[in-house]
Amino acid sequence: MRASEDQLRIMMIGGLEGDAGAYSALLAALVPLLRSFFGRRLRGADDDVEDLVQETLMAVHTRRATYDRDRPFTAWAYAVARYKMVDHFRRTRQHVPIEGLEDILMAEGFEDACNARMDVKRLLGGISAKQAQAIRDTRIEGLSVAEAATRGNVSEADVKVSVHRGLKALAARLKGEG
Amino acid sequence: MQTDDLIRSLAVDLAPVKRNMVGRRIAFGILGGAVVTVVMIMLGLGIRPDLSTAILGSSFWMKWGYTISLGVGAIAATIHLSRPDARRVRWPWLLLVPFGLLTILSAGELIRTPRSEWMALLQGESWRVCPLLVLLLSIPILLGLLWSFRRLAPTSLRLAGAAAGLASGASAATLYCLHCPEASATFVLVWYTLGMGLAALVGTLIGPRFMRW
Repeated sequence: MRASEDQLRIMMIGGLEGDAGAYSALLAALVPLLRSFFGRRLRGADDDVEDLVQETLMAVHTRRATYDRDRPFTAWAYAVARYKMVDHFRRTRQHVPIEGLEDILMAEGFEDACNARMDVKRLLGGISAKQAQAIRDTRIEGLSVAEAATRGNVSEADVKVSVHRGLKALAARLKGEG
Repeated sequence: MQTDDLIRSLAVDLAPVKRNMVGRRIAFGILGGAVVTVVMIMLGLGIRPDLSTAILGSSFWMKWGYTISLGVGAIAATIHLSRPDARRVRWPWLLLVPFGLLTILSAGELIRTPRSEWMALLQGESWRVCPLLVLLLSIPILLGLLWSFRRLAPTSLRLAGAAAGLASGASAATLYCLHCPEASATFVLVWYTLGMGLAALVGTLIGPRFMRW
């Protein structure tokens, strides 16, 4: 399954804090995204695609300090990939028009990356505070049910019920809005 | 190398990254270069002997106000442009505000001065060397910034180079005030601006070559 903006961002933040497991999971999750990103734009040059995927992974690694934890991760990662591709075309002396970052995010299905957090905030504002907190803890910040229960000073069953009811309420609201 | 092996090798010995590492790295680069610049001023030019009284005067703060505000703006732009996902922003025109204010000061100065003394205001004692000294003193700071960028990720290299060049020029001009005894706004408007502009030009020219990654 394809990783979402929130999952990637949480793994990246884990990596920045020194969690090697989260970090290698992040890089592994980036590989299919990068392969399809470069594959579609370098039709047929499979060796080049794999080279660019590896170069981008290395750049993500050496430049990871430039990722700002408060900003969307996919926008940052595709900006790195885009730069590597521009550099590749410059080296091979090809002149290829390359879309802007906004269009790339759109084409790769991350058009929500820029306003995703605002939407989440707005949606969570519409359900009870307890349910919103439980969803934020377990689904966005990536805490386990047990950790969320300790943090909120409630039982684990309480957290599970809150998440379940909260998500149901959110789904109902989304349907109503759509 | 297989991509899986690469991932494994990158995740080994993963060092944590502090928050706001970009700002820290740029600050280190500028401070490192500034130390060299201060030494160059102390050994090569000398601190102005009346510094302790001059620092209380308005003309000293007219100069510092100009160079420091430009420096702060240029450093903010440099930090912004060092991230790959930097978006176009609307505030670079704010860098024109110090220039505009100094132009007003200079115009007031010229109105108050008889026309026959305008050349003296413009040329001061050191107009021939001032821009070149600012440019020369900016080099260590620009080198410091290029070091900072070795771990940063600019995607518009010319623009990032220009911002880094202006940041180094404005920092160098700020330090040059410790030596330079000139007191006229007209002098600063022309020659300081020229020196900082040259530093920005150097940054623009070398950015694409030395900021690649």
